[in-house]
Amino acid sequence: MYRRLKDDLFVLFAFASALLAILPIFHILFSVFYNGIPVLAKYGVEFLSGTLPPPNKAGGGVFPAIYGSLTMIVLSLMLGIPLGVFAGVFIAEYPSSSISKAARTVLVIILEFPTILVGLFVMAVMVIPMGRFSAIAGAFALTIVMLPYVATYTEQAIRSVPQHYKEVGFALGLNRFRIVFSITLRIAKKVFITGLLIGMAKVSGETAPLIFTAGNVWRSTGALNEPAGAIPLWIYYLVQQPYSNYHEIAWGAAVVLLAIFLVIFLSARLMVRS
Amino acid sequence: MDKFKIFLFPFVSAVFGVLILMLAVFVLNSVSIFQREGLAIYTTNVWIASENPEEEYYGILAATYGTLYTSLIALIIVLPIAIGFSVFIVDFVPEKFKEAFIIPTDIMAGMPTILFGIWGVFYLVPAISGFADFMYKNFSFIPLFSYYNPTGFSYLAAGMLLSIMVLPFASSLIREAYRAVPEVYREAALSLGLTRFEVARILLGYIKPSILASTLLAFGRAVGETVAVSLVIGNAFNINPSLFAPGYTISSLLANQFGNAFVYEYMPSALFSAGLALFAIGLVVNVAGLIVLRRWTHV
Repeated sequence: MYRRLKDDLFVLFAFASALLAILPIFHILFSVFYNGIPVLAKYGVEFLSGTLPPPNKAGGGVFPAIYGSLTMIVLSLMLGIPLGVFAGVFIAEYPSSSISKAARTVLVIILEFPTILVGLFVMAVMVIPMGRFSAIAGAFALTIVMLPYVATYTEQAIRSVPQHYKEVGFALGLNRFRIVFSITLRIAKKVFITGLLIGMAKVSGETAPLIFTAGNVWRSTGALNEPAGAIPLWIYYLVQQPYSNYHEIAWGAAVVLLAIFLVIFLSARLMVRS
Repeated sequence: MDKFKIFLFPFVSAVFGVLILMLAVFVLNSVSIFQREGLAIYTTNVWIASENPEEEYYGILAATYGTLYTSLIALIIVLPIAIGFSVFIVDFVPEKFKEAFIIPTDIMAGMPTILFGIWGVFYLVPAISGFADFMYKNFSFIPLFSYYNPTGFSYLAAGMLLSIMVLPFASSLIREAYRAVPEVYREAALSLGLTRFEVARILLGYIKPSILASTLLAFGRAVGETVAVSLVIGNAFNINPSLFAPGYTISSLLANQFGNAFVYEYMPSALFSAGLALFAIGLVVNVAGLIVLRRWTHV
């Protein structure tokens, strides 16, 4: 008798957990679209091209944030991809070397490192010596955040390719550099590109490492050695303002950020699929 | 060493360089506060920022307390849900629909954390404020509900938001482990005429280590989360047992105070030592989680 009852309660528990797990996700996604899309519709193209308006004044946009995000992401990819890829190649090509074993552990530690600490670190080594916040410092912080993703996926990509492809390369008289970059990574390009996309998705949404490195501005000259805005940073600061038009702009920026993330996420997903 | 290895070596050393340099910066910058206050920086709850360095005094106990309290709230919420959700997907959802439940949690896992923050400020905090009001009026004799906070910015808001944010990590680990239990165990249990509940209880018994590992790793995530938490926790130097009290976590303290810390003589050092504590907590928890995970998967 009680066994039946317990079983029914258990099924109820499993279904309730599923509901509690899934519901917040949809509520968050829904509320970003629900609050953000009307803002985009109301502000029109100006939302992407304008700058922050004065409090309680209609119009304006988030151009400096988009510009800052784009420049910092591109810069961090330029730094982080070579660094992460070559480090990942080392770990994959010399897997039994003690350097590789230690590097793997270090990458896990950096991956789990709270990103706010990366921001503090870059402030200490770049911002204070330079005397000001800058897009370069922000990009440098993002590079550190991205590094473990790029390196780990590069390693996995190389290790997923069977040994005999490499042996063919050796038989042709190719050097190791050519074998890795013309054969191995080309065969495993799906895993490899997925890794790059995941690293990019990660840094495009990061806020904490930018607070003390990019410093945030509402109007930027565009120079790389000067403070920069970023979409997540703008949301962070606008939410804390008491003005309702700033909250509107924050929701609009949230939709833009979510759209960027979803595009990268879905491309990564399709990569894995096909 | 071949040429290729020599060419790659600088890049792999950069990985070590980053970690060593980071640790060095945090340790070196913490020295002056340790010399001045000793361990009192970790064991007291004071925050006296002054133009006059003689009067400055810092203790981050409130932030450490908040970090542990909010992460604990998150775990208490997330653990049963993650287990129930894993059982649901593996046992009750037909194979071709499983993905439909997993994709949303994958999106969740990678989503920019600031989006959780803005949702928390405009939806979660107001909801908690109503709930807090009700609980205070009826149950204020219980310490958990003893704080009157009409704003809703609180440990509970931070803990609930964290629980939503770490769920994907906790549930994916538990789900994969639960799925990997050999089918023969399930069949053997079912053949004895056990109910679904009894079967699941036995199978969950097998994956205890990965439940423990996922708990630890989720805790590690929760400890380091910054912006979403700092937007909803209320940012107050508080050590209060009530769920509804506002507080600080180490990471939100850093996000809030570091920007103007350099005006003061000792505050940067105090905050670097807070960062060191955050790093230590995160490292211990994550390493423990990884050890449990590795030991279990090697058996």
